[in-house]
Amino acid sequence: MAPTSLRSTLSSLPDNAPEAVVDQHFSSHLLELLGFQSQEIHPQYPTGDGKAVDKAARKTVGDDVFLYTKSNPYLLLELKGRDCNLSSDAAQYQKAVKQLKRYLLAPNCKTAQWGIITNSCHIQLFRKHGRVIYPATHCLALDNENADKVVASIRKKIESPSRALTVAVYNNKGGVGKTTTAVNLAAILTFLGKRVLAVDFDPNQQDLTSSLGIPLSEGGVLEALTQRDIELLSTLHPYKFPLKRINSELRFDVIPADKQLVDASDDALRKLLKRNMLHKKLASARQEYDYILIDSPPNWRFFSQLAVYAADVILIPTKHNNLFSLENAAIAIKKFFPEVQAEKGDGSPIPLPIFFNGEKITPAQLAIAQQEISNIIKTAKKEGFDLLSYFYPRYTAAKKDLHIPQIPSYANIAGAAFSRTPSVYRDRSAHEYYKNLAKEYFLQ
Amino acid sequence: MSSLNDIGNLMHIYLDEIEPGEATDAPEFLIKASAHLLNQKGGRNWIPVIVKETGDDAYQVIGNSFIYAVAEEAGLDRVWCIIADGNSDTVEVVKVLAGEAIPKINLSKASRDEIMSALDYLINQPASPLKGVKLAIATNRIDEAPRQYWKTLDPITNLKCGITRGKKLEELKQIFYLVPEAMPDTITDIGILKTFSVTDLKAMAKKRGIVGISKMKKDDLLSVLSQSSD
Repeated sequence: MAPTSLRSTLSSLPDNAPEAVVDQHFSSHLLELLGFQSQEIHPQYPTGDGKAVDKAARKTVGDDVFLYTKSNPYLLLELKGRDCNLSSDAAQYQKAVKQLKRYLLAPNCKTAQWGIITNSCHIQLFRKHGRVIYPATHCLALDNENADKVVASIRKKIESPSRALTVAVYNNKGGVGKTTTAVNLAAILTFLGKRVLAVDFDPNQQDLTSSLGIPLSEGGVLEALTQRDIELLSTLHPYKFPLKRINSELRFDVIPADKQLVDASDDALRKLLKRNMLHKKLASARQEYDYILIDSPPNWRFFSQLAVYAADVILIPTKHNNLFSLENAAIAIKKFFPEVQAEKGDGSPIPLPIFFNGEKITPAQLAIAQQEISNIIKTAKKEGFDLLSYFYPRYTAAKKDLHIPQIPSYANIAGAAFSRTPSVYRDRSAHEYYKNLAKEYFLQ
Repeated sequence: MSSLNDIGNLMHIYLDEIEPGEATDAPEFLIKASAHLLNQKGGRNWIPVIVKETGDDAYQVIGNSFIYAVAEEAGLDRVWCIIADGNSDTVEVVKVLAGEAIPKINLSKASRDEIMSALDYLINQPASPLKGVKLAIATNRIDEAPRQYWKTLDPITNLKCGITRGKKLEELKQIFYLVPEAMPDTITDIGILKTFSVTDLKAMAKKRGIVGISKMKKDDLLSVLSQSSD
């Protein structure tokens, strides 16, 4: 039987339908339209930390039927009643998103890649990659007219997930360790068995390229960005690190900085390039790599905008002893990223919580930094932004947890550039600290 | 024993019917100053002492012993108490919730996040012997070790993460316990094998029917065990 239109189901729902009614009449139809048969859906699926999510679903593989084996869910659905306001500025929406995120990260749901919240008036799709959860659509209003189209677009997304998580490393303050972070994260993720592409998108500094001893591109990258039929991946240059074991090496790919981009002015580039060009050009890379890391320049000019547009999430290094690096992070979160989100139209990119990169922090210095951060958060609140979760992700109304991840810098981390080798391959402590960062932010 | 109906009730009990149980280790200043405040501000202990019944009109403190000490210092005749049942699970929960005991986690199964927060807690205790242990490094090493098979916490001292035998390891015993899985006989991953003691390795080799074990050194054992099932 061909799935029927959602329209009649929607119009038959009473205006104030509670969760049970939405569940009964709407959710099974929705999941059917998303391509799941009744044996592929488990209601009240136990997440493994004592809670249950309204629906979990996975396609049948061979004779592994999800309803019976209950293993490896692919999609989680959190239902609300129509009496629960899920428009994106409502408090109930925030609560529902938090709930969904918690389910997605729970022990039994490690394999889940998608999460949906809906009350049949609104619907939003989230993607989970490792432990990173980011929106895959805006929070969309459903009505009789658009429902089928919206659901079809969601189905298209969940049937062709991109393999890669694209991360822009950005702070419009310079010298906070963007390049160091990008290089070492690329190196440690490679060490942990991931396929990684690093993109040096800071043509003025070119540090990522030169710190790995890779030759600069002589116009090739510019050409690939501006010409329709040249693949961006044709410009890549592998970075190889031989291991002691014979015949084995670590390898990640680098798209080097382009010399010719240095001279090009923003205006000239704007005539050749649209803001979405890097995102477009990375389409094939998104299926080939597990992680794409983009190193961006310390400003909010054209290159940064391309880099941020191309990203799913943005990693923001800051320095505890540099007020501007914290303030700039706040400005980017309040002003720059929402601009790009509005233009891109799928809810991404979202900023990840900040981390401290730099000199060892004494308790007194930490107290000063925390003071500054609470000022920043207070000021933002007056302007109508809630920055708390970007600075203190573990802080809740009942729990004043001020944890911020730290990477202490050593002479040997910065000095590794002289040997053209990422410091995580040379130095044990650096190796452990970046592994910790990778696990805390990205890996599940 | 009187009826069990009192369990869960808030009761105003004579202080001399309550036995202190495990005494609080709160400093004298806190007890005296709190008692003074309590007397000044109405004399009602709004946060109750948690007691169990030990006989007719006889009770013993199992939680909030600080409040008991304050009430005693304040010279209260009667103190507000909640009656709990006396089984050991209840006592443990009460002590942990009252902040008088530290909850333990199962290191055999704990997630990386749990290990990290546990270590973070210990390292940041005042005057902790673990000062100087690098949280990120210790978490990585412990998380990656084959801890599901550990019978004791001793292998942590071989992980080179700054936690040595003695005071530092003793600290960890406060928060970690182990429920080890049975060791499979077929581990061939040299990285995991390396973390076992020679005694464990010999036992493993014996199970697999390898001969000449008694003369083998650790390296020999490792090379034999890592090949044997290929």
